[in-house]
Amino acid sequence: MKIVRILVASIACCGWLLGAAAEAPAQAVVKVGNILPLSGPSASVGLQNKQAQDMAVQEINDAGGIKSLGGAKIQMLYADSESKPEKGVAEAERFINTEKVHILTGAWNSAVSYPVSAVAERYQIPFLVPVSVADKITEQGFKYVFRIAAKDSWWTRDQFAFLKDLQAEFNAKVATLAFVYENGDWGKGFAEGWKKHAQAGGYKVVLDEPYPSTATDLSPVVQKIKRANPDVLLLTSNAADAILLTNTMAEYKVKPKAIVASGGGHADPSYLKAAGKNARYLFDIVEWETDVNKPGAKETNEKFKKLYGYNLTGESVDAYAAMYVLADALERAASTDPRAIRDALAKTRLTKGPAMIVGYDAIEFDESGQNKHAALVMVQVNDLGKGLERITVWPKASRRAGYKPVFPIP
Amino acid sequence: MNASTVTRQPASGRPVLLRWAPLLLLLAFAFALPLVVRSATYLHILILLLLYAYLTTSWNLVGGFAGVLPLGHAAFVGIGAYTSTVLSLQYGLSPWIGMILGGMISTIVGVLIGLPTFKMRGAYFALATIAFAEGLRVMVENLDRLGPFRLNGPRGLQIPPLEVGFGRLMFAEKEPYYYIILTMLVLAVGITWAVSRSKLGYCLAAGGEEPEAAQSLGINVARLKLIAMAISSFLTSLAGTFWAQFTLYIHPKSVMSLDISFEIAFIALIGGRGSIAGPLLGALLLRPVSDFSRIHFGDTLPGLHLVIFGVVLILVMLYQPRGLQEPLTRLYRRGMQRLFGTGEGG
Repeated sequence: MKIVRILVASIACCGWLLGAAAEAPAQAVVKVGNILPLSGPSASVGLQNKQAQDMAVQEINDAGGIKSLGGAKIQMLYADSESKPEKGVAEAERFINTEKVHILTGAWNSAVSYPVSAVAERYQIPFLVPVSVADKITEQGFKYVFRIAAKDSWWTRDQFAFLKDLQAEFNAKVATLAFVYENGDWGKGFAEGWKKHAQAGGYKVVLDEPYPSTATDLSPVVQKIKRANPDVLLLTSNAADAILLTNTMAEYKVKPKAIVASGGGHADPSYLKAAGKNARYLFDIVEWETDVNKPGAKETNEKFKKLYGYNLTGESVDAYAAMYVLADALERAASTDPRAIRDALAKTRLTKGPAMIVGYDAIEFDESGQNKHAALVMVQVNDLGKGLERITVWPKASRRAGYKPVFPIP
Repeated sequence: MNASTVTRQPASGRPVLLRWAPLLLLLAFAFALPLVVRSATYLHILILLLLYAYLTTSWNLVGGFAGVLPLGHAAFVGIGAYTSTVLSLQYGLSPWIGMILGGMISTIVGVLIGLPTFKMRGAYFALATIAFAEGLRVMVENLDRLGPFRLNGPRGLQIPPLEVGFGRLMFAEKEPYYYIILTMLVLAVGITWAVSRSKLGYCLAAGGEEPEAAQSLGINVARLKLIAMAISSFLTSLAGTFWAQFTLYIHPKSVMSLDISFEIAFIALIGGRGSIAGPLLGALLLRPVSDFSRIHFGDTLPGLHLVIFGVVLILVMLYQPRGLQEPLTRLYRRGMQRLFGTGEGG
């Protein structure tokens, strides 16, 4: 009998849920469907993205919404992809068909953004991607996908440009490289770029080691690094494995001349907390740093920190800026028709406003939908007497005044 | 006794029809559903429901009847998805042919896994199948190409939605997908029903519950399990192709992940292993719970939907360890008895 009661309760529950789905909110809103990994392995970055976007939307709505639409408010709808492509696709279809959203954004994981871009294209709904970096997302000839972040081939290109400048600055020679990367979509994409650039730059690759980022013990990988003894170690890691690698390397006393990471886990706020002084002198390439020399950046970061308890990251800045790019496009489109929004997005040239806390001077999309101005900076983790911090070192024009990078690692 | 057979015999035409009527009604209802459910979102959810019901029904041949707990069926989903996708992307082969080819490969692989592992008992068998499926996933993740075939490692394969039509197993609308998976499910249930009524089914059940006793009666338990595994892996593989054509994007973490194997097992456990209705009931309960809780709580309380899923699982395991199929069958029988009198005794 008990089971029957439970069943009845769960059926009633389902009915209530269905009912909740049916009640539609009032007019004068622009509906934005946002697909993010809110549970599962990438939940923490998904949440940071959500918080940055919530903050931006709050600001936009508080400032009077979209004026050309009579002060229409932006309404954010969130869906959890669990980092799974099929769930992301299902949610995209639900957003489009049931919720009737005017625009899609997300999905953080490249593996989710990629198929979602096809859904958006099919229904002709613009898809604004803040941070999925896989090149292929904007290389499908699609008209409805727009990306704020730099694509991954640009990241590897800039890592090698940095290496070259570093050697010139310190008059030192880097001959051998080791590649260690998570064996997913993202890590493999980076490794491919590294191989190309290493060959072009005449470096010798002494280790090419993918590893699963769910590994609980990375000492075999670290021992391989120790044996290969590279001048420079290039890393692509997610959060937990970045911490594990750094701490295991300290344990085994592995000290290449420099370690160059690729954002992601190394840029996650939890990394510095957990790796502590083992992370000192690490170089990390990111899109944005809290010490960036842009008006408003400091204030925005402080506001974010007060709200959520940690600093903005390059990814959350992209997510934050994306909402202002959207507001700007809506303002110009003066319509909630997805096609009109798409055309306005394609003509974006944003040079002022809160979005300009990004590290470069304008947001503008090329024909493929890629933000052509997206640029990257290299930071070094160091302790200047106030605890560990991330200090911008490259390009030289953006370097924090008075700081000299430490190379090789003492 | 004589009297009862006499009274039943002449009227047999009607009671048989009546006994089948609810099933036929259910089937008609399932086929008519897309006429009512117009929303692509809910059709999408329904298709996934049927897909999981199909997967679990296929799994049930081994996991239910043969009395072992295979947790590596994602491997067959992956083989099916990759075989048809690679062949259609590189050689333009129709996914329908790829589907059958993938099924054949899966059958061979299934038998090869079964040969050494069916000697194992309980948890060891389950662990061996997990190990195999995970091994296959890691291999595909690290292979960009396998001979002439491009697998594209962890980045997976996207199927460009260019040629739409039945021959390409690709449609712009959801309805055709719904009818295809429904037909596949009906066929799979039919096969399960036939197996459960055949000598194979009885011997499997005997071998699953009391292997020593069955063997002493001269039943070659290992061989029968292999046959069940072959059918099961073939059917599972077909779902892989369907999955690939439905989502148009596959990568190892989606079509080969342990999550699929576990979800199949969960559905079977909730619904009732070893019964025909079990997988259907399990999918009917668990899929909506998982989908609707994700839709409604996924944004406000991230992760809550997984908790709900877990709680439902625990409740059923606590109160109905043999699955929901048992109390519901009892209820159904009682209802039939009341409707059609005592003739329906069983």
